[in-house]
Amino acid sequence: MRFKASIQNINTFNKFTASIASLGAVAWVRLDENEIRFTIIPEQGTQVWAVLAKDTIFEQYTIQSANNDVINLEVPVVQLQRALKSALNATSANIRLTKKDSLPVLCLTINTVSYRTGVDAFGASSARQDPDAMDDRASSVDFNSSSRERETIVTQDIPVRVLSQSNVDGIHEPRCREPDVHIQLPPLIQLKSISDRFTKLALASKSGTSGNSNSTPRLELSANMHGCLRLSIRTDAMNISTLWTGLQNPDLDPAQVEGGEEGIRHHASTRMRELGSADGKSEEGWATVRIDGRDWGKVMSVGRLSGRVIACFCDDHALILYVFLSNNEDSDDPSVLTVS
Amino acid sequence: MVQLDFSLTPEACARLHDALICMKNFSDVVALEARQERLTLSALNLAKSGYASFVLQGPEFFDSYNFTPAPAAGDNGRFTCEITSKALLSVFKGRLFDPRKGDTAIDRCEVSLQDRPNQAQCRLIIKMICDQGVTKTYRLTYESVEVMHALFDKQNANNRWSIKSSYLREFIDYFGPKTEHLDFCFEDHQVTFTSFTEKIVNANREILKHPLQTAVTLNAADFDELSAQAQLHITISVKDFKAIVSHAETLRCQFNAFFSRPGRPLQFQYGSGGMECSFTLMTIQDGRTAPAPVPANTHQMQTRTAKKPEKAPAVQERANTAKKASAQMPPPPVPNTRKTLGRAGTSGTATPSQGVQQRNLDPDSLFVQQDEEDHQWDPANLDEGETLGWDASADNDAFQPGFKDTATPARTASYEAPGPDALEPTQRMSQIKGLW
Repeated sequence: MRFKASIQNINTFNKFTASIASLGAVAWVRLDENEIRFTIIPEQGTQVWAVLAKDTIFEQYTIQSANNDVINLEVPVVQLQRALKSALNATSANIRLTKKDSLPVLCLTINTVSYRTGVDAFGASSARQDPDAMDDRASSVDFNSSSRERETIVTQDIPVRVLSQSNVDGIHEPRCREPDVHIQLPPLIQLKSISDRFTKLALASKSGTSGNSNSTPRLELSANMHGCLRLSIRTDAMNISTLWTGLQNPDLDPAQVEGGEEGIRHHASTRMRELGSADGKSEEGWATVRIDGRDWGKVMSVGRLSGRVIACFCDDHALILYVFLSNNEDSDDPSVLTVS
Repeated sequence: MVQLDFSLTPEACARLHDALICMKNFSDVVALEARQERLTLSALNLAKSGYASFVLQGPEFFDSYNFTPAPAAGDNGRFTCEITSKALLSVFKGRLFDPRKGDTAIDRCEVSLQDRPNQAQCRLIIKMICDQGVTKTYRLTYESVEVMHALFDKQNANNRWSIKSSYLREFIDYFGPKTEHLDFCFEDHQVTFTSFTEKIVNANREILKHPLQTAVTLNAADFDELSAQAQLHITISVKDFKAIVSHAETLRCQFNAFFSRPGRPLQFQYGSGGMECSFTLMTIQDGRTAPAPVPANTHQMQTRTAKKPEKAPAVQERANTAKKASAQMPPPPVPNTRKTLGRAGTSGTATPSQGVQQRNLDPDSLFVQQDEEDHQWDPANLDEGETLGWDASADNDAFQPGFKDTATPARTASYEAPGPDALEPTQRMSQIKGLW
């Protein structure tokens, strides 16, 4: 079993792991010749099913295994993210699967080259205190130019567990009925700060009355096919809602929908398009889901990737978010959220 | 009658604060030892495996320094005491010395010792003289105890390296917070620092909770001096190393290490501007990796960059003072797991884990918070106990996302403690019943 690659887009990889790290501690990572899948299935809360094309983050990608060149691993996300974080200033970084002390690890090797003159953060001040040091440096610049580069190699060993094919055979992406409404979400930082605010308000008003802080408040998120998104929270004492209008409802691709053109004509979203209005004042045509406030806050952390996010609403059943990385239209990273 | 007075510039106060932060990593109490020419602050950890000392040279570090020992003790007399680092840190606060903070910036700090038979209380009196004619006076209690210092035999420490502290500072953040040990080893013109945890994890699932093992490799050429036995693995605590390097970087000085072999103490030493810092740490005895000690200079690799000749005396002088500071005593020949240390007076109570926690919470910590703009994407911490209330400060300029109403609820107050107008009950109800 061999896996080796150099990481070409450390920043994206780091942000991606950071955004899924909030949703679960351990990810199932499936590596094959073309893509890398990250799956997080926590006991409770949001599932993530992410697919990254190998070119999005890797280059010089080598994979070999007895199982049709597919490798299944269990990876601790927090450790992976911490390791990637130390690679943010790297000139190059490689990752490979290896064994250390008979334990499998993902070994991340990070090369950093810094220049003496550039790195001397205290160049000026130390020169003031110690003229000799400055002379030293000056001579090394003039006569000994080879020693100016400093190369530091950092290796981070991430403990992993190798899963056999039979271990993962039972894991399937959840199936869900066709969505009633699909809509492109507004900038997630808006959505995140407002929903965090709502959740806090609801928590505060709840602890004021009963003191039972175990149950988290439910946010109500609804959308229609006329570019409206509504986020609201309802408690005994209050009812607040925020309305976005003028959002995009992307058209469905007939090739992707069962039944082609005909399928779209009978699609739930086509029926929903006939109801409601673009100013969001009509009570008709809304698909609504209720989501856990805390969980939603964690999901929103995917916003750091600044991708395009399409939300699919199955009324009263599920919410599925598809996050597309903006730099590459082909590589999609659907974070699938199933909260009813 | 002991007399000790000294005054500090704001810069020196800031440096004292940095030193205290670093010492807090070792112990809850700071030991002071005043002598004619210098003041030594030291801290010894609970396990007695780590010792930090900061020698402040009287004329160089202080604005003025004046120590008169008790007459009986003669010229070599000294004064020793212990003060909790918490108390000292609350006086020498972090950003207090920032000249940009106009109102609270201090101009001068004067410290004097009140230890006279004719005065009722023994106190260390610290006066912060601020710009606006404000003087803050702190009176700290101290415990007069005999201070113990760790001994380190530099003559027998035949391995040494020296590097710019900033080079070390660059990589210490890579070591994960959960790792315990740091191993360094010289091999093939490279020095590798590895952080690891020794915990043996049996359960299959537990493997994933194992912290990252991080190795950082530096080229021998980055060291200004490197004379160490190859493949000699020296293991110390990551936490101590991080604290020491963070502090060394604030002084922007050369970082020196002296060591002999595993199981024997190691010393880190650096200093500038009248502050000489040395740390004596116990290294972990490890039978697996240590090669048999070889006679000096047979397998040693010497890389030494050309140094200006006039620098040498300074180094020599520093070594001499360091030698003077610690009493000469040859270590026992048998490798001990504990180094020869005197008993510290009252020891602190902080466990290492508590130390870490406190450090993380401390806004003045030397450890750079890894704050990025990415931070805003983290899930909101909804458990921080935000409550609704009215902002009484009427500070409309800054939007405050959360505030706490600290007022006691009026209703409970009226039941618990009646106002001055209310009449106190004169009798118990049960007593009234018997009357009729």
